[in-house]
Amino acid sequence: MKRILKYFTIRLLLTIPMIFILLTLIFFVLRVMPADPVKSMLGAHAPERVIEQKRKELGLDKPILAQYVDYLKQLARFDLGKSMIMEQKVITPIKDKLPATLELIIFGLIIALVLGVFLGAYGANNRGTGKDTTIRLYGLIVFCIPAYWMGLMLQLIFGIWFDWLPIAGRTSSRVLVAEFNNTGFYLIDTLIAGNIPAFLDVLAHLVLPALTLALILSGIFVRLTRANMLDVLNNDYILAARARGISEKKVVYKHALKNTMVPILTMLGMQFALLIANAVLTESTFSWPGMANLLVKRIHLRDYPTVQAIIILIAVMVSLSSLIVDLVYAWIDPRVEY
Amino acid sequence: MKYVFRVLFILVLVLMFIAVGCKSKTKSKDMLVYGTTESVTDLDPAEAYDFHTWEILYNVYEGLMTYKPGTAELQKGLAESYSINDKGDKYTFKLKEGIKFTDGTLFTAESVKWSIDRVMRLESDPGWLVTDFVESVDVVDKYKVRFNLKQPCGFFLKLVATVPYYPVNPNVFPADKIVTNPSELKGGKLTGLGAYQMMSFKRDEEILLKANPNYYGKTNIDRIVINYFKDPTTMRLAFEKGELDLVYKQLNPNDIDDLLKKDEYNSYKIPSPFIRFLCFETSESVMKNKKARQAVAAMIDREEICKKVFINQAKPLYSMVPIGMFSHKDYFKTEIGNANIEFANKRLKELGYSKNNPLEFELWYTPSHYGDTEVNMAEVLKNQIEKSELIKVVPKSAEWSTYLDNFDRKNMAAFLLGWYPDYIDPDNYTAAFAGTTGSAGQGIYFSDPQYDKLFMEEKTSVDQEKRKEIFEKIQKLWTEDVPTAPIFQGSLFVFTKENITGVKIGTAMTFYYKELKYK
Amino acid sequence: MVTTFLRKFLNYFKESKKKYGVQWWILVIGIVIVFFVTLTALFPGVFAPYGPNYMESGDQFAPPSFQNIFGVDNLGRDVYSRVVYGSKTILGVAFVAALISSLIGIPLGLISGFVGGVFDRVLSLIMDSIFSFPGLILAIALAAMLGPGIVNITGAVAVIYIPQYYRQVRGQTLSIKEEVFIEAGRAIGASKLRLLRKYIFPNVLATVVVIFSLNIADAIMTEAALSYLGLGLPAGIPDWGRDIAMGKKYLASGYWWVITFPGLAIVSLTLGFTMVGESLSELLNPKLRDK
Repeated sequence: MKRILKYFTIRLLLTIPMIFILLTLIFFVLRVMPADPVKSMLGAHAPERVIEQKRKELGLDKPILAQYVDYLKQLARFDLGKSMIMEQKVITPIKDKLPATLELIIFGLIIALVLGVFLGAYGANNRGTGKDTTIRLYGLIVFCIPAYWMGLMLQLIFGIWFDWLPIAGRTSSRVLVAEFNNTGFYLIDTLIAGNIPAFLDVLAHLVLPALTLALILSGIFVRLTRANMLDVLNNDYILAARARGISEKKVVYKHALKNTMVPILTMLGMQFALLIANAVLTESTFSWPGMANLLVKRIHLRDYPTVQAIIILIAVMVSLSSLIVDLVYAWIDPRVEY
Repeated sequence: MKYVFRVLFILVLVLMFIAVGCKSKTKSKDMLVYGTTESVTDLDPAEAYDFHTWEILYNVYEGLMTYKPGTAELQKGLAESYSINDKGDKYTFKLKEGIKFTDGTLFTAESVKWSIDRVMRLESDPGWLVTDFVESVDVVDKYKVRFNLKQPCGFFLKLVATVPYYPVNPNVFPADKIVTNPSELKGGKLTGLGAYQMMSFKRDEEILLKANPNYYGKTNIDRIVINYFKDPTTMRLAFEKGELDLVYKQLNPNDIDDLLKKDEYNSYKIPSPFIRFLCFETSESVMKNKKARQAVAAMIDREEICKKVFINQAKPLYSMVPIGMFSHKDYFKTEIGNANIEFANKRLKELGYSKNNPLEFELWYTPSHYGDTEVNMAEVLKNQIEKSELIKVVPKSAEWSTYLDNFDRKNMAAFLLGWYPDYIDPDNYTAAFAGTTGSAGQGIYFSDPQYDKLFMEEKTSVDQEKRKEIFEKIQKLWTEDVPTAPIFQGSLFVFTKENITGVKIGTAMTFYYKELKYK
Repeated sequence: MVTTFLRKFLNYFKESKKKYGVQWWILVIGIVIVFFVTLTALFPGVFAPYGPNYMESGDQFAPPSFQNIFGVDNLGRDVYSRVVYGSKTILGVAFVAALISSLIGIPLGLISGFVGGVFDRVLSLIMDSIFSFPGLILAIALAAMLGPGIVNITGAVAVIYIPQYYRQVRGQTLSIKEEVFIEAGRAIGASKLRLLRKYIFPNVLATVVVIFSLNIADAIMTEAALSYLGLGLPAGIPDWGRDIAMGKKYLASGYWWVITFPGLAIVSLTLGFTMVGESLSELLNPKLRDK
């Protein structure tokens, strides 16, 4: 236990400077161009005096370093600030839209994992055959497909040509969100409200965007699984299992797979950054009201506080995910030491 | 392990199939679902300055004057009658009696004064519609209120019909703060003196409106749900699948084209006075010589733009005053022409430009504020203008906030701009771009005392015939100085299901939901 | 003469294939794709029947036909020509971005690995932070702040790949630093710079080539993504990402060719460079080679 704690604290301490560096980077990057958010917020007609006043209020008249220090002080109080373009706290839209992104990412990740692992294992098992080559090519090609194009093609085929699935948004227009909105995770909310048609509607809306994310990420899992499986399948204990007469299927999918899962799960942490990047493109294509979409919109509008807050949040999530995964790995593998 | 995976997989697949087969629809005649790609800004009559938020406020609030649905004709709203003094600078309104806000507060002259004072105090973006004209407001008696204007104004009644003048409940609205979300109000809901109350609000997703029981007039459909779409294609598909009863703003030109061809929907073409035009920085940039501006304006082929970019859903525009508005004259067609290469080249050669020394300038556009047709516009304009061979065009783009910034920095020699009117009068389309103060605010920096004098005359005159003459003169002068070159006038389309009527949107662009009804 | 040469070449081919297997084929296909697209990027006029901005190449929204093999877009422009000219844009940006990235990242990595100390620790921390963060999002922030323009986009894309070169080079420098022949070099009095130049750099070069290729693949995806989101190049310059963004609104009307072909182009080009990079990496590193 002590070992884990030591590992945990060291990793945590390392995370903080990383988040700090990123937020500093973004803070200064956002202020590179002197385009003024105040004017576009107040409008072209606002009198000069009001603009100056607003600028003072937002602290934009101070030199950059002073603004930076102010911001750090504010963060220390765990206050993410107020939006620069709307009269609301930054946390409000983020709280609103984060569940949408998380729901999409989690769903997509699960499908990617299931798909990738199975294909990888299957390929490793049939090494050298045409099936294997196809799977290897799949792993290679799928990662080269832009997420938005994949999304658009899926929309075209399943939404327009076949009209099987909805192509945008989280719910249909006639499903009144107001009736079940609770945690923001619509899959859970609809079940809590006992509204099964709404649940199915939400699920249907999740399919295509999650599939887009899933297909792109599955490539990595396919190749990882396959590589790992090939290693594992050459191990002695597999030979022993086969010698003992255990069925081939059980050997591959039970014994071998179990052992490859650990390195795969550790890779999960590293894929989080990729997941978020592709989520930006997916959310944009499917008009998904999530945090990634919010980020892009607010960058255009030069809403610095919101953008900074979202970036910090992403940095925290990325660090956390790799931290958790490393912890799990350290716990499982007694050889790991820092 | 493997079994768990398998079961999960099959479960997911099964659920997906069920989901595919099940499409949720709740149908009833007391509800209408309205789809749009617009978005709401601040739900405060003193602060909102965009078309869509005004539309919602038209329905939740009401003005002393309103427009007759489907027309640009003013009629009395909350005011029972009005009188104007001889000089034309004092307007007195007698209010309808016995009208109450939702919380029981009585609507009186005090409410009007409080609301106008609030607008003047908050100094917001649309505030100038009040502060530029109104000196003060007096409560004459319980139901009589008088506006004392800074100078006589020929179109004040039109101003009173705009949203910043709408009375709000003094007991509910904060006196010194702008309201962004209804949750900030006492009671948490946005309700006023209009036909509908806002029962729930989820920004960029959904708004639920319910008929206001305290409304003095009549409402047909009890519940209106506004569904927000980020993507016009999705909205079109949702409409065709039957999920929406009505769509308005902003479908893509090709979607409009397709829907118009289908018989099962009702379509309404709205003669909307929104225009798009090319502006020039006239004081310091390479466009400071009016001959250069005339040349570029002459190269524009409006017919091609309307056909290619808008599939004939827009109309070529030859004046800054829109078609259908009083005093409109096609002077750009008669004086300069359309795609007139000889005219342009003649002017350019007079300025010393040649094939080896072309007039080179940056054509700016903003790619999302007016929709992404602006990108196509810039591409088509570049081709058209360069047909002269004496001009070289470099397209450049900037997001809206940078665009506004560029006005101040005078670094856009030529830029595309669009205009939705604040009030329905030629003054709003001209003074804002060629009057000294207005022009500077729009990055054009045109200043000519002759124009300023003419604007002052038409603003203060109450004689509509005289105003018409002045505007015609202004339009003619415009073709000589060309601070801006008009390109097209847009149309807006509303599509509804076959069983819905009551879509009455006139040139005043006021969309009153209370008129909608099921057959 | 020619036939013997061809036969020898084919034999060599067959032997290599047997020796290296699928990996060899992947490399070859990758090189062919890269070569072909580079040609179209350098000489677009040869491959494209119309100019990219020529708006009279066919009827508005005409489907693929002999006259326009990829169809016509909403302004009457030939989709195929736009794809061809677009390759010049995207390859140009990606290549220059990768070049800038490497020119900054490699020296930094060499110095950092060689010098060590506080400088190394601090720089490593910064680089790791950037590396672990989703690159696309940083690129979006940079591109949005700098504004549209070919220089800005190239810069935005370049910045996010610097850590890749840095880390790889630094890691290799660190391990090579301990090698015996470095000790030997030091013993004979070689200066630090000479050690870097003569001993460390050549060994690092091989991996750098692999990263460069994969870098270009990724840069292509990033540039297209930025354009798709509206942060890329202004109008007038043909760009695959922007064409997809502008063309997606026509899906509901059934005009699928406007976005399908630019998308396929992105996939092919990225695939080409990825194939080259990955197979080179496997071929150069025998330990990892998959038999």
